[in-house]
Amino acid sequence: MYAEHFSEPATSHVASAPIEHQFYPYASNGGTILAIAGADYALLAGDTRHITGYSINTRFRPSIHTLENLGGPERAIVVAANGFSADGDALVRRLAQRAEWYTYNHNKPLSVSACARLVQTMLYGKRTFPYYVHTIVAGLDESGRGEVYSFDPVGSYEREQCRAGGSAASLLMPFLDNQVNKKNQYDAATGLPQVATDLPLEETLKLVKDAFSSVTERHIHVGDYLEIKIVTKEGVKVEYFPLKRD
Amino acid sequence: MDHMPENWGRPRNDVYGEYQSAIHNAGQGPQSRTQTPSITGTSVIAMKFDNGVMLAADNLGSYGSLARFTDQERLIKVGNETVVGISGDASDQQYIELLLERLLIEDNYPQDGHHLRAPHIYEYLSRVMYNRRSKIDPLWNAILVAGKNDDGSPFLGYVDLLGVTYSSPSIATGYGAYLAIPLMRKIVSEEADAKNVSEEQARKVIDECMKVLFYRDARSLDKYTVATVTLDGEVKMDKNVRCQNMNWRFAEGIRGYGTQKQ
Amino acid sequence: MGGFSFDNYQRNKFLTAKGYPVPTATATGTTIVGCRFDGGVVIAADTRATEGEIVADKNCEKLHRMSPNIWCAGAGTAADCEMVTQLISSNLELHAMSTGRAPRVVTCLTMLKQHLFKYQGHVGAYLIVAGCDPTGPKLFSIHAHGSTDVGYYLSLGSGSMAAMATLESKWKSSMTKQEAMDLCAEAIEAGIWNDLGSGSNVDMCVMEVNKPAVLHRNYRTPNERSIKQKSYVFPRGTTAYLNEKVKPMIKPVAYDIFEETVTSTGGEQMEIDG
Repeated sequence: MYAEHFSEPATSHVASAPIEHQFYPYASNGGTILAIAGADYALLAGDTRHITGYSINTRFRPSIHTLENLGGPERAIVVAANGFSADGDALVRRLAQRAEWYTYNHNKPLSVSACARLVQTMLYGKRTFPYYVHTIVAGLDESGRGEVYSFDPVGSYEREQCRAGGSAASLLMPFLDNQVNKKNQYDAATGLPQVATDLPLEETLKLVKDAFSSVTERHIHVGDYLEIKIVTKEGVKVEYFPLKRD
Repeated sequence: MDHMPENWGRPRNDVYGEYQSAIHNAGQGPQSRTQTPSITGTSVIAMKFDNGVMLAADNLGSYGSLARFTDQERLIKVGNETVVGISGDASDQQYIELLLERLLIEDNYPQDGHHLRAPHIYEYLSRVMYNRRSKIDPLWNAILVAGKNDDGSPFLGYVDLLGVTYSSPSIATGYGAYLAIPLMRKIVSEEADAKNVSEEQARKVIDECMKVLFYRDARSLDKYTVATVTLDGEVKMDKNVRCQNMNWRFAEGIRGYGTQKQ
Repeated sequence: MGGFSFDNYQRNKFLTAKGYPVPTATATGTTIVGCRFDGGVVIAADTRATEGEIVADKNCEKLHRMSPNIWCAGAGTAADCEMVTQLISSNLELHAMSTGRAPRVVTCLTMLKQHLFKYQGHVGAYLIVAGCDPTGPKLFSIHAHGSTDVGYYLSLGSGSMAAMATLESKWKSSMTKQEAMDLCAEAIEAGIWNDLGSGSNVDMCVMEVNKPAVLHRNYRTPNERSIKQKSYVFPRGTTAYLNEKVKPMIKPVAYDIFEETVTSTGGEQMEIDG
């Protein structure tokens, strides 16, 4: 019945296209990451499950990397690159090397903002054959405030209060908008929109654990363990939290 | 005026030097390096136990669905205390063996007291695999590396044609990931579980997995090699092992595919 | 005429050629198994239903009743499993009424496979059929294209290999009911832990000769949700609104009765059958 209105395109590849078996240099290895910046801390968390397809490769593969830095433990930078894990590893290794050489060359700590700009150039340097990863860099700025930078695969980046990346980012992000940035929440007394305030670390940790245990319920890629790295003026603290394994 | 049209619109020779006509004469399109494997080996399986790591791989070299070679060795001893298990393309496997031989020779300084351990070989292989995938010219394999860490603890790692790497107390490539992993994870799911598993227990599970793989993987063989790396730095290669106590008796009671009775 | 409507075939082909994605049906990742024992047969399933990477239902039912003594576990396209089992179940009931006997498992098997074969795999139902009838306990599997298989132990779905690994290493001939139940539960659990398409709980159905089938809904529940660390109750007034209008749901209407007439419908009966 629609045939008289639409003539079939000459290059219709519905049934006739030959199947090409060629090498595809990317894969998806699942996992989800989440970063939140506070007044005196920055936190980067991610689940430790590594997958291909419907299989769990390993239940425990910590993916949050710490870049040691000059100028004391509070200057440490945490970084995670989630997506195609081989690219993520390559990026993080290269970044760690560049960060180390930066401190040797300049004899000063690498600031988180400088690290973020470095990540941008490294990602954009592979613009034509991108690292297939969502990258997040977190740490403390000169005044000791938490800062979080997030990147798309080819280097576009932004400083943010909080950001989720990876498989279940679309499930986590609306929850963070609501709970961290107080979006869609109004003050009952004044009727004015609630304003985002810095969450205390204790609250943030509870929030992150709840976020991941909830996402584990509804996303098949997420589970096994949650790794949380917290940067404070004391340095980097690591916490592990068990998640469901099904 | 240059009257030769093929020279028009090109950088001037007096400024830029002789034009490289190789560029002009290059063939159409990019060079194609894409490959598909031809002779292949199926799963390699491995698990940690209290005193080391145990691996197994069968001896079949498949040519598509043809069982072409039945005496392929896919577990390779590298140095004195490391075993590399390779599944996938056989020609790429032999090239990897060549690379590892070269690496060993290159690194062989008897005086320095250092020798290559599993983590070093694993690091080398994962760099090779990732660099080849980044050239879109992959080595069509999935590889397991088993041995000891520098601190003497057991080491087991996976790397494949994409350069994807991971570690786990029980790993398998190919169909082993679906059929052997569920059985191996029953006794070593976590790193800590390996301490409660003896070599005998591990061997029992590995043999069971190879049997299940022979039952259900159509590209497998009931003849295989089991390699054991122990923490005392010993590598045992148990070759030409056969699947034992297989049970095909259930077939006696089955007639047809539904309504048939005889 | 029943069956599929192909009205949009040409249009969809055109849209696909223009680059619009083809809508995909939910192919549920699943683990289902079946196992015979002395005097009966047991089938089991996990309870996770997925839409791609998202868990659509954490405790869905994949065990379908075909007749009181025949049950079916379904994998593949959720809707196809549901509809094909409903249809054949109805036909089986009609068949039972016309013959005056309880339906046999092979009858159910044949009706399912003939229906699926007719649709050449487009009805994406992968089933394990089991039950007890006067000929004894029976266990079959059916693929979407209509082929069937007989076995003492069977598994299907994305977790079928994890389950089959368990079955292949633990199955033995002449098992007791409890042994078969434990084996099936363990096979499903292998799928739950190792296959991302399967998860949550184990459902089970035991069919014994000359006994009513017993459904063990949530036979094992190894994935209870943990308690949340925080409370997420919003205080009243958190959600904004543009305006407020209160409308009574029930309008108080006063009826005045002017006259009352009673009419007879006479001999005319309401038509109930067209």
